[in-house]
Amino acid sequence: MSGDDILDVRDLKVSFAVRRAGRKYRVQAVDGVSLALAEGEVLGIVGESGCGKTTVGRAIVGLVQANGGSIRFKGVDAMGAGRAGRRAMHLNVRMVFQDPYASLNPRRTIGDSVAEAGDINGIFRDRAERSAMVAETLAAVGLNPSFAARYPYELSGGQRQRAGIARAILPTPSIVIADEPVSALDVSVQAQVLNLMMDLREQLRLSMLFISHDLGVIGQISDRVVVMYMGRIVERGRTRTVLDHPLHPYTRSLIAAIPLPDPSKRILGAIETSEPPSLFKRPSGCAYAARCPLASERCLIDVPELRSTGTDERALACHNV
Amino acid sequence: MLTVRDLTVSSGSATEPVDIVAGVSFGVAKGEILGLVGESGCGKSMTSLAIMGLLPQPGPRVRAGRVELDGRDVTQLQPWQRVEAGHGRMAMIFQEPMTSLNPVRRIGDQIVEAVRVHDDVSAAAARARELLELVRMPDPEMQLAAYPHQLSGGQRQRVMIAIALACRPQVLIADEPTTALDVTIQVQILGLLRELCGRLEMAILFITHDMGVIAQLADRVAVMYAGRIVETAAVDAVFGSPRHHYTRGLMDCMPSRNAGARRLPTVSGQPPAPGTIRAGCVFAPRCGAAREQCHVMTLSRVEVSRGHEVLCAFPLNGGEPA
Repeated sequence: MSGDDILDVRDLKVSFAVRRAGRKYRVQAVDGVSLALAEGEVLGIVGESGCGKTTVGRAIVGLVQANGGSIRFKGVDAMGAGRAGRRAMHLNVRMVFQDPYASLNPRRTIGDSVAEAGDINGIFRDRAERSAMVAETLAAVGLNPSFAARYPYELSGGQRQRAGIARAILPTPSIVIADEPVSALDVSVQAQVLNLMMDLREQLRLSMLFISHDLGVIGQISDRVVVMYMGRIVERGRTRTVLDHPLHPYTRSLIAAIPLPDPSKRILGAIETSEPPSLFKRPSGCAYAARCPLASERCLIDVPELRSTGTDERALACHNV
Repeated sequence: MLTVRDLTVSSGSATEPVDIVAGVSFGVAKGEILGLVGESGCGKSMTSLAIMGLLPQPGPRVRAGRVELDGRDVTQLQPWQRVEAGHGRMAMIFQEPMTSLNPVRRIGDQIVEAVRVHDDVSAAAARARELLELVRMPDPEMQLAAYPHQLSGGQRQRVMIAIALACRPQVLIADEPTTALDVTIQVQILGLLRELCGRLEMAILFITHDMGVIAQLADRVAVMYAGRIVETAAVDAVFGSPRHHYTRGLMDCMPSRNAGARRLPTVSGQPPAPGTIRAGCVFAPRCGAAREQCHVMTLSRVEVSRGHEVLCAFPLNGGEPA
């Protein structure tokens, strides 16, 4: 964690109250996550459904309330900040959502949705400047400025996601948190949107938190990656190093399960996987122990802490590697 | 086992039909998995619904072509007519098992219901248990009493497969059954389908948008674009040496965990909407290698090598333009 980290999250905890079959439970969705985002960096968060990766992103922008830890944006405590401080942060930390169908208001034009953050914060001097900036932003994401007058139903999935990105970059933020931004898109459109995000990152010098379940997408776009499992980070490091030489048994099984587009490298029947434990019955000790080929007795008792391996910003939470 | 000939599914009026699926032909043999791959809106799900006789009504209809199950024409038969005529041994599983299962009925009852349609009523409960064992459901006896919400996504998909197997199908159509699942669960379900295909000697038509899944699972591949099959071949041939420019484009634009921050090649533009398709090759407007005649000429399928057919006038050769 160096001085030029633009975002510094420490020991973040988020829990939800859930009612199941008449009983109340508390689910610890995020259980002590620390991560730092350097200026201009893309940090990937990868993991399977329910691992807490989306909740981390939502807690950072304030869409869910954290109940522990700290979030510092440019050195300023964001959780303790007053209304004004938080508003300034909201304009600088923006979010792109997964489902371009659900995340755009169907009754507002694309232009109004894109201008919304600017409207709320009064950044446009007059109507003319507003429409000029909307047009410019639409052009930047590869949409014809005439789209400003259209409604979401008139757009294809890829176009909607471009509009969703446009909304997140007007006015230009410091950080974009993208939660599965290409998962709902077809592969050919997915490639176009990924390229767009890589271009914007360079042009606007954005820092990005890129949340995805897809290691292919993560490998494409992120500089560093954290792997999450049941609310905790199990491995962290440079994307190349982690994906080429995964150390944590969970990361290994995740990578081994990717269906490679090569019929000569078939994995069916060759690898064994099992179901993850229920979030309601969090095991004591390491949450991965029940599925882990390396598990020892200690794993069932002690929760492994994330410890640095000393090289290459690599860190690992495992007793046996 | 399953033969589809020149299947054309159209919406719109009888005088001005709009073809959603246009002249699709393929066959799937016993013990074989045919992967049908394509992007949203290419007509792959319409093809499967037409084969099952499950096209929404009112809605698109089969305008031309035939669907044959084990040599018998079932094209115009409704599902119940097929069961009555003894041609009902075709089943389908869908992407989201939660929407296919009844949330307020126990798993066991739902399987029994499917068994009773086809089988002796008295042995139905035993058969339901047997089916859950067949799909390798952990703890089958206990799960019979469970409700769908108590199961994980992977387990629900196993239940769907069990229900599909109740009719002892000769043909199983799987429409994106693993798309909603995590990768570690996806390999389990794919492995199960592979195993069942051989053990029960079914013909499986596996529909997906994921070239990776196709490479892992299928014996043969049919690539669909804008309602047409543009390339068919054995899986090794398609991945080793794709002949259609669209197939090549689909493979190139897949993000790879080994690539690292580089721009992905893309297929520019978007597929044509049904009804806007004019003369010439359907892919020509997006094809990097399109020549003038591609936009006007009528294409027919060419067999470029044994069992490898392509709908292109200037197919790739060894992955490169001819």
